[in-house]
Amino acid sequence: MVGSKRNLAWTIILITLVLMFFYLPIMSMIVFSFNSSRSLTSWSGFSLEWYKALFENREMMSAITTTISIALLSTLVSTVVGTFTAIGISKSKRLIKEIILNVNNFPILNPEIVTAIGLMLLYTTFKIEKGYMTMLIAHIIFSTPYVILTVLPKLRRLDPDLAEAALDLGCTPLQALLKVIVPLIMPGVISGALIAFTMSFDDFVISYFVSGNGVKNISILVYTMSKRINPTINALSTILVVIITIILLSVNLYDILKKKDLKEKE
Amino acid sequence: MKSFASLVKPYVVWMSLFIVIPMLLILLYAITDRGNSVLTFHFTLNNFLRFFDPVFIKVLWKSLEIAIITTIVCIIIGYPIAYVISNVSERLQGLLILSVTIPMWINMLVRTYAWISILSDGGIINSILAAVGLGPIKMMYTDFAVILGMVYNFLPFMILQIYTVLAKMDRALINASFDLGANRYQTFKRIVFPLSLPGVISGITLVFLPAVSTFVIPKFLGGGQYMLIGNLIENQFITVGEWNFGSAISLIMAMIIMGSMMLTKQVDKDASAQASNDGGKLW
Amino acid sequence: MKRISVLFLIVGLALAGCKQNTEQTLKVFNWGVYVDEDLIEEFEAEYGVTVIYDTFDSNESMYTKLMSGEVYDILYPSDYMVERLIQEKALQPLDKAVLTNLGSLMPSVLNQSFDPDNTYSAPYFWGNVGLLYDVEKVDEADLAKGWEILRDPQYKGQIYFYDSERDAFMIALKALGYSANTKDSAQLEKAYEWLKELNQTMDAVYVTDDVIDNMIAGNKAIAVVYSGDAAYILQENPSMRYFAPEEGTNIWVDSMVIPENAQNPKLANAWINFMLSADAAERNTVEVGYTTVRQDVYDAMLEGDYADNNAYAVRTDNVRDEVFVYDEDMKKIISDLWFKVKAE
Repeated sequence: MVGSKRNLAWTIILITLVLMFFYLPIMSMIVFSFNSSRSLTSWSGFSLEWYKALFENREMMSAITTTISIALLSTLVSTVVGTFTAIGISKSKRLIKEIILNVNNFPILNPEIVTAIGLMLLYTTFKIEKGYMTMLIAHIIFSTPYVILTVLPKLRRLDPDLAEAALDLGCTPLQALLKVIVPLIMPGVISGALIAFTMSFDDFVISYFVSGNGVKNISILVYTMSKRINPTINALSTILVVIITIILLSVNLYDILKKKDLKEKE
Repeated sequence: MKSFASLVKPYVVWMSLFIVIPMLLILLYAITDRGNSVLTFHFTLNNFLRFFDPVFIKVLWKSLEIAIITTIVCIIIGYPIAYVISNVSERLQGLLILSVTIPMWINMLVRTYAWISILSDGGIINSILAAVGLGPIKMMYTDFAVILGMVYNFLPFMILQIYTVLAKMDRALINASFDLGANRYQTFKRIVFPLSLPGVISGITLVFLPAVSTFVIPKFLGGGQYMLIGNLIENQFITVGEWNFGSAISLIMAMIIMGSMMLTKQVDKDASAQASNDGGKLW
Repeated sequence: MKRISVLFLIVGLALAGCKQNTEQTLKVFNWGVYVDEDLIEEFEAEYGVTVIYDTFDSNESMYTKLMSGEVYDILYPSDYMVERLIQEKALQPLDKAVLTNLGSLMPSVLNQSFDPDNTYSAPYFWGNVGLLYDVEKVDEADLAKGWEILRDPQYKGQIYFYDSERDAFMIALKALGYSANTKDSAQLEKAYEWLKELNQTMDAVYVTDDVIDNMIAGNKAIAVVYSGDAAYILQENPSMRYFAPEEGTNIWVDSMVIPENAQNPKLANAWINFMLSADAAERNTVEVGYTTVRQDVYDAMLEGDYADNNAYAVRTDNVRDEVFVYDEDMKKIISDLWFKVKAE
């Protein structure tokens, strides 16, 4: 099917156009992070001043640590709770399973803004002071359903008698859980954890509505800073892009190269 | 631990507190009036009635319109891309999908913010046009900018969903179709496309839902006067302080979205049924 | 397992609701880009405390944040918002004994109608609202039209209008010859029509802070701006000029106030006095560009940095210039009408 030259030409054109579309804003962002003036449209020379300003900006550094710590913590909690709950769901009666899964779907099906204001109303009505904890709780809430949905399919493929067999052979329930079930669903758990981390790191809408006390994450900071031209945002974004690219490339290239090795061995 | 099923208990408690109660609160605020304190129990349907002012209906309509256009554009661009990627060598596929995925990982606000400097009157595109002697095109603060921003943010989802289905498609079916004398167009129309529909439907879900409810993209690229329903809700909660009205609007929007989701699920079922029927016809 | 999870929940919620160590913290809620940030660190060092500094972009969103339960020690509301907060008994009186610097302020900013005697509020920046225009793109003769220049078809697509219901209606009412504080619904209706026509025929872009960088870059010919922003822009873009129409405009005063439920009022009063010192006032006005409230700093600026800057020197002699008055019903009407203007 991929024979004719015309096909190849089309393929290359399409892919190039799409890649240009995706990366033009990112490239522009990166280029102007090194601009020596405050402009985002006219180049006046190379400078690292915005990177310097980034590291000297107290608010930004605080937002970065907040974003990372909340992402790590919420990923940890939501993955653990999500995995165990998924295991519990797979062993539950039909009716309970249905109810739990339906309620679990709310944060996924609801537009983010609805989940956000629901939480804001919750915190306000019960006079819970908004800040770090409220943001953390909110992140756990919207991440856990995704973990559950990612782990469940893996559980369905498991032999249902494995856990019983483990218990019969003398394991405590905890051991059966940790040494038998969890290792077998690990790929699902890791996927779930990655999704939870991305969602938390990237989150804006929900964090925006539930934070307070000066606690901000990167997204909120960019939002509040966006009215004035601020190349420090560009500097921050460039660093993010570089880190993400390195992580994704190394993880995936490893996979791709592994496949290549396997193929060569065959 | 009595049984493994009891593992769900902590989460059930958690869910009721942080998922169910907030939903109930939104409902409560939507059907009550604002008193001196923030939450009262004066029940009223005023908040819903207020929404039926032509001004607000227009906002809702525009949001649906923009979301539908965005979704269609994503399908028109995304499908060919996914198709083309699924047909190249496997190693290249991995690399291409990776390059489509990387932008997704970058913060959405940052990605949208980047377009401002490209689209503005003194921005990159207009600078290039000026260098060639063409007049500046007004792009910022228009429907075009908002749709562009949305497509930019949501296209990867569409591509990935369609690609996943296409990549997993059984090549044997396609080869069998050729063997039986069908040309490429016929094969595509009667085998590949119908079987790829579930991917398209997932893609639609992943694009339409956020497109209808987003407020950041219209705010950055549409300007202060650009009001989609997400902006309206945000405006009511953050600026105006009319939480009751805001909750009513959120409920209305949530219901419309649930409705369209159920519709797409129905279409998905029909499409899958159709696809498996046609697939059966092959044999 | 269940007991642990319930415990976790309780601890989590308790931590979430638990109040911060208030001895050492001052919570400030101010406009964005409204202070010399070094001053915050200096205050922290001098008093050995931590300052949590949050920003808002409109009086309305500041008020809503308060409504949602956020507690602050210092707020920076505008005139009519100060009036509203006083009416709602949300502020506590200032400790004049601590505020020694109040005596150095300009008489014209003190004792405003919204807070006679300055019982609750200490002015911080003040100014008016006017038109910023590009001399290279605007015909000086057209300036005689006053606010109506914003509806002049030859400037279609070249207007930045401020996304603020208050200021929008003020402009329309002044253009029509009415008071900005009118309660006459017929007049408000006419103002609404005025604005609607502007929106439908002029292709205006509604902005807030983004007007600053946009006008420095010269992206459009005319903009509605606060005098402080104009003062800053005039320093950065030599082809820009500022004027306030003769028909009258709004004079605004942003003040520092202490909420009733502030957790650290003593420190709050110290902050106010700190910000009103000559050094802080000077650094703030130089950094932000807005007109200072201290007499000595004002005089120095007019001879130094802002010598030729007519946006910095706020006129006080036009009787048609008004300060906003707060009225709950009028606010609701204007809010609704403003939404309609933008949406249609």
